[in-house]
Amino acid sequence: MEYRLWFGKFVNDRFEKADDLRKSFSESCNSAPLPFSVSDIGKEIFGDDYYRILRRVAIEVAEEHVERELKREDRYVISLVRTLDEIANTANLLDERLRELKEIKNSQLVEMFEEKLIELKSLRGDIEKEIEDVMRKIAPNLSEIVGEKIGARLLEKAGSLEKLANYPSSTIQVIGAEKSLFKALSRIRKGKKAKVPKHGVIFQHPFIKTLPKKKRGKMARFMANKIAIAAKIDYFRGELDESLSEEVWRRYEQLSRS
Amino acid sequence: MFKVEMEGKTRLFTRSAYPSHYGERKIGDYREWLPSRSKLASIILKGYVPGIKRDTRLLYLGAATGTTASHVSDIVDGGVIYAVEYSAKPFQKFLRLAMERKNIIPIFADAGNPERYSGIVEKVDFIYQDIAQRNQVGIFVRNFEFFGKSGAEGIICVKAKSIDSTADPDEIYRKVIESLESRFEIMEWNELEPYHRDHIFISVRWKG
Ligand SMILES: C[S@@+](CC[C@H](N)C(=O)[O-])C[C@H]1O[C@@H](n2cnc3c(N)ncnc32)[C@H](O)[C@@H]1O
Repeated sequence: MEYRLWFGKFVNDRFEKADDLRKSFSESCNSAPLPFSVSDIGKEIFGDDYYRILRRVAIEVAEEHVERELKREDRYVISLVRTLDEIANTANLLDERLRELKEIKNSQLVEMFEEKLIELKSLRGDIEKEIEDVMRKIAPNLSEIVGEKIGARLLEKAGSLEKLANYPSSTIQVIGAEKSLFKALSRIRKGKKAKVPKHGVIFQHPFIKTLPKKKRGKMARFMANKIAIAAKIDYFRGELDESLSEEVWRRYEQLSRS
Repeated sequence: MFKVEMEGKTRLFTRSAYPSHYGERKIGDYREWLPSRSKLASIILKGYVPGIKRDTRLLYLGAATGTTASHVSDIVDGGVIYAVEYSAKPFQKFLRLAMERKNIIPIFADAGNPERYSGIVEKVDFIYQDIAQRNQVGIFVRNFEFFGKSGAEGIICVKAKSIDSTADPDEIYRKVIESLESRFEIMEWNELEPYHRDHIFISVRWKG
């Protein structure tokens, strides 16, 4: 039997006090509820200082942990989004190979290949789920307005939450449309006619897609505006402001009715 | 906790030696507790008095920046609050509160993994949860399994939209309450109108 407490551990009923409290605090994980209250043991060891010491250690560990986390999470999402793309590409290519192989011969190896490929595809679902979870955490406002998926895509294109938070809404509106924007601009430069694209990644959002063509530009502009605000709140405060998504809803209802 | 008739309204205050935390006003030793900012304040203003006392040991899930937790900290000035939050940005602000208050133990963790803080949090009298998550009921129950004293009380705030964005809120609430009934005695529940739309709170007592 082993119980890990923030200030040490019980191994077969013998208590070993930890030397490094921050380390033991971070590692005080138990798979089942403890059959006693941690503080009862702690007070025997630290006496009246128990909560003072616990608080000090908790704050120190939290500061360090938060610091690390802040640097890492948006990069994690971005890398996951790219991984997802690569898996999709790779799976497509491998699908073709598999088809070819199957036509030639149905060997055990080919079956194994097929199984692995199915596994690879199911990994996509796991990655999507992870992206959703992390997005909710680091960008709750963005996620609420455009959904975790599109939100993550915007983040990936921008390169970081900080950059996204600093984009003007006109840029946000065309994120993901860079290629066609480029083409259009170079046509215009050559004196030819071209339509400047109105929407990039956010165009995938049902609130835009389901509107009549004429109104999509309006909605995209409105959404880009709110996304710009959402990204700023996410970057600077990280707290959910529900009024933002309500405004988007209302605007959508307005436009789809009129 | 003090209800005062003031400026034509019932207002809520907690007695506090500490400064304002989220822009709320401070009158003498009292900080105003705003129902628009805190679901717990709206619960109390709607007439329900939760069993949080001076010496309560409390686990708070979803501390965010500490708006509500700051008032709870005022109330339990002889007790302890273990506060769990997993989002780094709001937690940073929360840490500033924790440094100021002697009764707050900040824990940067996912409330869905109570294992991770099982060696830190003692057995508690009260668990308050406001996390707006699809699986929030499961998370609530797991935390009671780990930390609830027998007969411990709790409040769970449920936002219909986060459980299911399309179903009828009343239907969602009914299901949530039903799923709590096997492990808890339901003491009270109510909507949070007019302060928070599409939210309810459920006050429970742990049967475990
Ligand atoms: C509605 S806010 C809470 C507001 C707070 N109770 C108050 O009144 O001051 C919900 C918080 O729960 C946090 N949260 C959501 N799921 C969580 C989880 N699984 N573990 C820890 N925190 C979580 C979110 O990051 C967010 O800060």
